[in-house]
Amino acid sequence: MALQELHFEFKIDNPLELGKAWIHCGVVSSGDMEVLMEKKDLEGGAKIKVVTPVKGFERVWALILERFIRQSRLGNVFIEINDNYATPLVASMRLRQALADAKEQKT
Amino acid sequence: MKDMWTWDELQKSSFFEATARERANGLVDKGSFTELLGPRDRFSSPHLPMLGEAIAFDDGVVTGVGLLGKRPVFMISQEGRFIGGAVGEVGGAKMVATLKLALQAYEQVRKQYPDSYQEKLPAVVISFDTGGVRLHEANAGLLAHAEVMDQLHDALGKIPVIALIGGKVGCFGGMGFIAAAADVIIMSEQGRLGLTGPAVIEEEMGKNEFDADDKGLVYRTTGGKHKYILQDCNFLVADCIGAFRSQMVGVLKMPFVALEQFRRIGTLDLVKEQLALVKLATELRARDSMEFWKHFGNEDPGALPDLKLEEFLKTAKRRVRK
Repeated sequence: MALQELHFEFKIDNPLELGKAWIHCGVVSSGDMEVLMEKKDLEGGAKIKVVTPVKGFERVWALILERFIRQSRLGNVFIEINDNYATPLVASMRLRQALADAKEQKT
Repeated sequence: MKDMWTWDELQKSSFFEATARERANGLVDKGSFTELLGPRDRFSSPHLPMLGEAIAFDDGVVTGVGLLGKRPVFMISQEGRFIGGAVGEVGGAKMVATLKLALQAYEQVRKQYPDSYQEKLPAVVISFDTGGVRLHEANAGLLAHAEVMDQLHDALGKIPVIALIGGKVGCFGGMGFIAAAADVIIMSEQGRLGLTGPAVIEEEMGKNEFDADDKGLVYRTTGGKHKYILQDCNFLVADCIGAFRSQMVGVLKMPFVALEQFRRIGTLDLVKEQLALVKLATELRARDSMEFWKHFGNEDPGALPDLKLEEFLKTAKRRVRK
């Protein structure tokens, strides 16, 4: 019944770093999630923690996150996700959205 | 879809659609908002994980401080999309702590600027988007309500507390009491304010008494226009963050004594005024709020719900307060 935590680690060659020290994006509404990305010296690796009430989707999360890291080439980053039944499509979109926000200069 | 908007874009954005964080940023002066206990502090509910419920880094309440001109504005902005904006232990404690900070700032400003403190006095803004107590953590949530009420009482006559209501959830349950205890309430037409929410009334009393699926009925009973006519809300503004902001600026330009006339509760005279309204309600035996609108001098109450805001503000007759 308790909320579950999933942990993932990825490492790619010649990773890119986040454009900002940290970025937060999204709201934990029904069918949605929030993501917090922080720059962290992880010897080029990416650590990801997912907190979700949904059981049995470890494999799907692994696929979504692996693809995100491969496409974004992010490294030295700690990513935390609070999920509330986001679909894989929404999850991928929020991750890319956070990355886009990290690149933009906002006032 | 975009998650981060610039401050200028936020001014024109819908208040109804905006997130709690967007509202907090857009309501104060450009670039002046500093979030306290933001997502990076990861201060989430200790109760929800045990129940298998999703958590949020900010527990559904954005708190912080910004500026309106020279005045520090302590901001509490509820996120209606996270568990319906329901207030639990952490979110409630964040509200209480923000009010305490505002009161500390008040003492500090008075001491530091004995001659010019008036123009620098802090204010508190609470943007409501909530159904009240988070039932998952009921006792802690209820206690938080009581503590917020306590702080509002301490703030009475010292710092203005402005309530904003224009989100998807509205402002119901125990938080309806909190809003009523604010000095000034600003709503949009889309905003809804009440104690027992429409769905709960229907469950308790039956569909014949109140049909929560009848959106027109729900808005006629709890919506901004009705609350404006009844003087439950003091100002009715357009559904954009900039409109709420400029009304806040307008309110804060008024001397504090002028703000006190907007209050609904807090003195014996105000209690008498409320009781007179209760008496009127029993005498009118109204089946619909439109009968109240007619009583307060609106010849054609049926036309009011469809009027555009500007026309409505020109046309609508409000309850006259003594």
